[in-house]
Amino acid sequence: MRQYSYGSTRVRKNKDSQNFRISLNKTFIVISALLYFGLVGHTKALPAFARQTGQSCVACHAGGQFPELTPYGRIFKLTGYTIGTQGNPFAAMVVADVTKNKSNTDSTSNTTIAPLNNLPIIDYGSGFIAGKVTDNLGGFVQITYSVYDKQDSNANTWQGHLGSDNTDLRYANRFISSNNDLIVGLSVNNNPGVQDVWNSVSAWGYPYVAPSGNASGFNGLPASTILDGKFSTQVAGAGAYAYLNKAIYIELTGYQTATGFWKFLSQGNKIGDPNHPLTYTQGISPYLRVAYTHDWNEQNIMIGLIAMNANVYALDPITNLPQFGPSTHYQDKGIDAQYQYLLDPHTVSAHLRFVRENINDDTGQSYVGPSRTNSIFAKITYTYRNLYGADIAYRSINGSPDSTAYASYTNTNAPPASPSPSSGSSNSNTPDTKLWTPEIFWLPVQNLRLGLQYNVFTQYLGTPTNYDGKNRNASDNNSAYLYAWVAF
Amino acid sequence: MNHQLHKFKFIFTLLISIALVACVSPDKGRNLNDPSLKGNEIAIQSCSNCHGITGQSTSQQFPKLAGQQESYLRAQLTDFKGHIRKDINGTQYMWGMTNLTTKQIDELASYFATQPAMRGTKAQGPEIILGESIFKNGLPLQQVLSCSSCHGQDALGAADIPRLAGQHNNYLYKQILIFQTTDDRPRGQVMKQIIHNINDQQARAVALYLSNLNF
Repeated sequence: MRQYSYGSTRVRKNKDSQNFRISLNKTFIVISALLYFGLVGHTKALPAFARQTGQSCVACHAGGQFPELTPYGRIFKLTGYTIGTQGNPFAAMVVADVTKNKSNTDSTSNTTIAPLNNLPIIDYGSGFIAGKVTDNLGGFVQITYSVYDKQDSNANTWQGHLGSDNTDLRYANRFISSNNDLIVGLSVNNNPGVQDVWNSVSAWGYPYVAPSGNASGFNGLPASTILDGKFSTQVAGAGAYAYLNKAIYIELTGYQTATGFWKFLSQGNKIGDPNHPLTYTQGISPYLRVAYTHDWNEQNIMIGLIAMNANVYALDPITNLPQFGPSTHYQDKGIDAQYQYLLDPHTVSAHLRFVRENINDDTGQSYVGPSRTNSIFAKITYTYRNLYGADIAYRSINGSPDSTAYASYTNTNAPPASPSPSSGSSNSNTPDTKLWTPEIFWLPVQNLRLGLQYNVFTQYLGTPTNYDGKNRNASDNNSAYLYAWVAF
Repeated sequence: MNHQLHKFKFIFTLLISIALVACVSPDKGRNLNDPSLKGNEIAIQSCSNCHGITGQSTSQQFPKLAGQQESYLRAQLTDFKGHIRKDINGTQYMWGMTNLTTKQIDELASYFATQPAMRGTKAQGPEIILGESIFKNGLPLQQVLSCSSCHGQDALGAADIPRLAGQHNNYLYKQILIFQTTDDRPRGQVMKQIIHNINDQQARAVALYLSNLNF
């Protein structure tokens, strides 16, 4: 699902009463929709894959919580979403939420950081076309509409944004006997890792639902590696994979900017767009994935390696147009792991990912010199009876000090807009940030999730305290996030 | 120009890859609405994902089917197809089997019934002794009949009465609770009378004993 970055974060004027009324009206509508689709008609309103297989969400999703996949869900995906019968391929989801920052005021300018903070809103929704096309061909196409993408400060109105989201089209074949089991396939997708079947990768990794930047301002880490989602809906990838005896998985995919024929994979991102510019890569960016998996009793484990190289053109800081010529070279290497225990009524899942990114910038615009970034992600979840759950996640990033990439504090506590390669504004010129997120959630019916997260920053942009030189502490960025997420 | 070349290479490589993968005969056993498919194809491509290719499932979430009574398997598949069997796990995983034909149900039942019989674990302890006693002698003071009187001395079952020997402990325990507290498995209604007084410890013990059997 879409994870929002700081790209759309801006310091805004305080909300006015009109916006508040609009939010309440929309919230009423979404609550009505939740009641109708989630509580009243849930037995008839299953998402596309559930209709296709005739199975409940819990068959493919660990503990019933989407998008974490069970072993069966992984096979369903690797075999091209083709198990079952052809049926209605359309589905949708809506996220309504409210975010409350511990401190939502910029102390220097005395302005609001996230204008929609502390307001109940219908944040975003997605439409899906998903399922089998033939016995070997299937796909998953998500299109997302963000209700509060940007604000017209003169008219005090909000503009939405419609764009491509996670997309994965597959052709797969399976050769299975009592001695051997080989799945081979091809995938065309738009986000490195979206084709992956383990939820330790970024594309389907935690947090599965998050507020938009205009509601939070401090959602997640202020910098990321390319394997942590930087190329999401920017690129077109085509690759081949093989999974042998449910033990060895290997995949090679090549990515390039999604333009021309592939433009449908990056809809919503345009060349030179001030808010959603298209990232341009030089040539094809290779992505390699290797994993070892093992199932025993009710448990399964995966240990994997991920690697990706990419050369990215700088964007003009004023026009956002790509500057063809020298590029910034990213080399990412990661190790990840997943553990699951699945036996009703208990479900436990744990994920771990470590990515190291080496950067050499020939453009001289994004980084001062050679740079290195390390990101860590860890999470453990417990779900009881596929109804009640709790998890805790830890995310951190650290890297070489760089006065260009992590520019000093300017005039706002909020990080600058994209396309800065590593959004952030640090008095110490580092991205070093540590974030803990405990969460509780409830799945009253299988297609509705209600949850409460609390984000706790113990370090932000290099230090626990006074990270901006203006007395703002990491803990000032803490936030509570209450959400309702329904799929139908 | 450089971009054009890369784009050409990209599309060319993709087309070659599609041709290579597509040139082999595709498997179709994942289609659950194709009456032309044989039961063993469905078993291998679909059922095996949870039950194992020979019906010897590894997870206790899913029952072993290997060597199960053919008539029993046929009856359960028929009940899943007609949404008559309504226990929670059955509905969550098996209600998609609505389009199976009678012939496919027969073939699926035959496929799993003729596999090498399910293998038990090797647990030990006092619970095993209690479980064996309940299985063979019942609980006369609680009006619980012996399991062996229907399922056989070796728990191999017969016709519509399922084999229990070697089945997953957790699966058996859950079925006892289902029979005892619900009407979700109408075909097993007789079990409700037989085990209505068994307590939790006794249910666990007999399930453990049965999961331990190897015949």
